[in-house]
Amino acid sequence: MKDMWLGLRAILLKDIVVELRARQVLPTMVVLGMLIVFILRMASESAAAGAGVPVMGAAALWIAFLFSGLLAQERSFAAEQQNGCIDGLLLAPLDAGTIYLAKVAANIILLTIFEAVMVPLVLMAFRLHVAGWGRLAGVLLLGNLGISSVGTLFSAAVQLTRTRGALLSIVVLVLLLPMMIPASFALLVLFGALPENVVGSGSFAFVGSFRAAVAYLLAFDAVFSVACWLLFGVVVEE
Amino acid sequence: MRRLLLALAFLLLMASTWIGLTRGQIDPVQRNILYVHVPNSVCALLCFVVVLVASIGYLATGGQTWDLVAAAAAEAGFVFATILNATGMIFSRAEWNVWWTPSPRLVTSAILWFLYAVYLILRVSLPDAQRRAARLCAVFGIVAFLDVPLVYISARFIPDIHRPNFSLDSAWQTAALMLGMAGTALLAAGLIWLRTSLLRDSRKLEQELLG
Repeated sequence: MKDMWLGLRAILLKDIVVELRARQVLPTMVVLGMLIVFILRMASESAAAGAGVPVMGAAALWIAFLFSGLLAQERSFAAEQQNGCIDGLLLAPLDAGTIYLAKVAANIILLTIFEAVMVPLVLMAFRLHVAGWGRLAGVLLLGNLGISSVGTLFSAAVQLTRTRGALLSIVVLVLLLPMMIPASFALLVLFGALPENVVGSGSFAFVGSFRAAVAYLLAFDAVFSVACWLLFGVVVEE
Repeated sequence: MRRLLLALAFLLLMASTWIGLTRGQIDPVQRNILYVHVPNSVCALLCFVVVLVASIGYLATGGQTWDLVAAAAAEAGFVFATILNATGMIFSRAEWNVWWTPSPRLVTSAILWFLYAVYLILRVSLPDAQRRAARLCAVFGIVAFLDVPLVYISARFIPDIHRPNFSLDSAWQTAALMLGMAGTALLAAGLIWLRTSLLRDSRKLEQELLG
């Protein structure tokens, strides 16, 4: 247990120090996110003031989040590929699951910093009012967990098989597709575009309520983080 | 044996179509599509289960055949999922006047189709006969399967525009549907079998040419 903790801390600290010194990915992530927000803001400009704005705001936040997340995840193993660092990492007397957890933690931290920059920007650009900051932070954290756990596993897999990086994006996005349903629902509720409980058979009625959406996000995160953690060993094994 | 299987599937599907067109017609006319739609949806899911089982089998044993079966089942499943979505959209347009709407079942079927599509792209982009590449496909097959029940269970008990429990009025209609089910299931089995042996031969040929 102590070994695991030490190894986890060492890899996590290494990744953070590398990012702080070389600033390899965070600036790129932020600029990409800002560009996405800017483009969507332009595309949603209409004659009717404020039409569709909360909807586009929620979309902008998740799209920026997904695509910038991909940048972070891709780098987290691409960097190890140089000079064969990955072999050293895998040779370390550590459980493969520990390496995975450390990498996921690094990616979660990167995405959280990214979120802290992006959320105010999106709120300003789309003139949104948030109903409950704590709930917004919770929903974004749950989304972060899902994106990072799936992304980190397949980043390692795609890097190790030396295939084109473009594959990573479709693999990760398609697996995150189901999570985007409750995630979008929750953000739309928080931005005031949907009521807390949706009844009948209209759009999103099947998610039901904000609580159900959060429960669904929790279930997704639990299932996927455990599955990815268990399968990481299989992916890196020679 | 394989030819027999496919021929039997063809006969059953013809019988199903014939009964459906003569004795088992459903009113209004667009609802007759269920003779194609329902068997295809069941077989798409069955193929997905085969991909899951074969992926687990490959990771557990490392046997080449498991890997090939997973690839073949994904190809067959993709065809069924495409037909499922296409017939569903045609029906939806005729019955509800929209091509698509985000109702739980339609979302699930669309996700199913996307998962198969990405699986097939993954298959063709990865370098062949590399153990890590095959393992990546197996891992994707397993994780992808986790997606389906998550959406499905959450959507199952909620009122939906799509009615899962259709009622059949006559024995002819039941017969047409059941024959369709059996025919499509045999077709699925035949296709998986055919593709598995084809993939095995092409892999063998490649190895002989290279080595």
